[in-house]
Amino acid sequence: MKQIIPFVIAIATGLLTLIGLLTGTAVVNIILEGAAFLAALALLIGIINLFIVHAHRLVTKRNIYSLFLLASMVAVLFLGFTDGNQEIGLTEAFNWVQRPLEAALASLLAFFLVGAILRMARQRGDRWTSLFLFTVILILLTSALASLRFVPDSISTGATQVRQIIDSLFVTAGMRGLLIGVALGTIMLSLRVLVGLERPYNK
Amino acid sequence: MDSPIIPVVVVVLILLSYRLVHRIFVRRLAQDDRLNLRPLPGFDVLKTQIGRAIESGSQMHITLGQASLHGPASPASIAAINMLGHLAEEGCMNDAPPLVTVGEATVLLAAQGKLRHSFEAVNRPEGYKPWLVHFVAHQTEPYAYAAGVSGIIHQDKITGNVMMGQFGTELMLIAEAAQRRDMSQVIGTDDPTAMALATAVTPNSLIGEELFVAAAYLDKTPEQIANLRIQDIVRLFIMLGILVWAVIQFVTNL
Repeated sequence: MKQIIPFVIAIATGLLTLIGLLTGTAVVNIILEGAAFLAALALLIGIINLFIVHAHRLVTKRNIYSLFLLASMVAVLFLGFTDGNQEIGLTEAFNWVQRPLEAALASLLAFFLVGAILRMARQRGDRWTSLFLFTVILILLTSALASLRFVPDSISTGATQVRQIIDSLFVTAGMRGLLIGVALGTIMLSLRVLVGLERPYNK
Repeated sequence: MDSPIIPVVVVVLILLSYRLVHRIFVRRLAQDDRLNLRPLPGFDVLKTQIGRAIESGSQMHITLGQASLHGPASPASIAAINMLGHLAEEGCMNDAPPLVTVGEATVLLAAQGKLRHSFEAVNRPEGYKPWLVHFVAHQTEPYAYAAGVSGIIHQDKITGNVMMGQFGTELMLIAEAAQRRDMSQVIGTDDPTAMALATAVTPNSLIGEELFVAAAYLDKTPEQIANLRIQDIVRLFIMLGILVWAVIQFVTNL
């Protein structure tokens, strides 16, 4: 019984939503609004989970980072209550703390990627690594030649054309192949969920 | 006049056909001992990671990405949650359950349920603790999510890193944190940019639709391999359709 009830709810809701979307009936709006409400409730549960996990880490492992996280949560919550409708404190906290931190993390991506490529060249010296490195160098070279001012026009135009050929032939074709594969996997998984062959909500 | 009945009938026929074809394949595969699957190194490494975590008395870290269960990218999260279910049982049985992190609240609830079911499946329901699954950050804050997961990788006793689900470029931050601790990694995502980054970081990446076939590779039951075979056949039809359409377009434009 414990397995049948979620199974029936999942299949019935899935089929109702699908048929509702196809026929344009109002029931689909009710289901989707219900899903949005549940997602908001889940977010509240997620925040409680975050608090419980880090409180547990603070108590059992004396983790200092968990202490900072809990203090930040309480501080932002306090700001939210004291701000009211104006959101001045929250906006300042976001602009002066979160945004710079996110910018700093984003700026690290390029360095980490270069490090990963060098590590790949050192540890995995196969033909695919060579092709990867060749492609990276080719793209950088053509981009540089196409954009530098002191490069003659003929070379700049040639580099642009090479870049366009790489983009339109190899990159677009490869990307489309990947996306078709992902779309196929998505559709087949969705079909399996609708007919009950895949049950992420059960054992 | 457009009738809404026709699309409904078509959809119902497709669902019934899938179920019927699946049953036929399952019967055939149950009689056939040769379950030939194309080797995917990512899945072989996943199995060794579980064993390594159990032997060393540490945990395997599994992060399930940031796609919500009610959005367009939900299949990636569903595939990741299914994979969690297949991976968790052995660890739950041997007192080394995986440490799970999620970047979306609906996935949190599904992952907690899956982990609880895994403990129940091995008759150890008392082993489940809510803090085995961490909600790190909401899907609107990818860098906060990456920073939180990286922190967990640095601080906790973790042997392997598994990233399954929807990720963006923030994947690089998490992968670098695991790389600095010399962990083996398996990454599977549906985002093309993240896939490109994953191939640079680890040789054990699951490209494209490979994320969605985990059950077949990890379980190897006739039911799961039947799903894989049907997917292969549909892929073949799509390929033939694209080729035929391209030839028709080429000929008509001459």
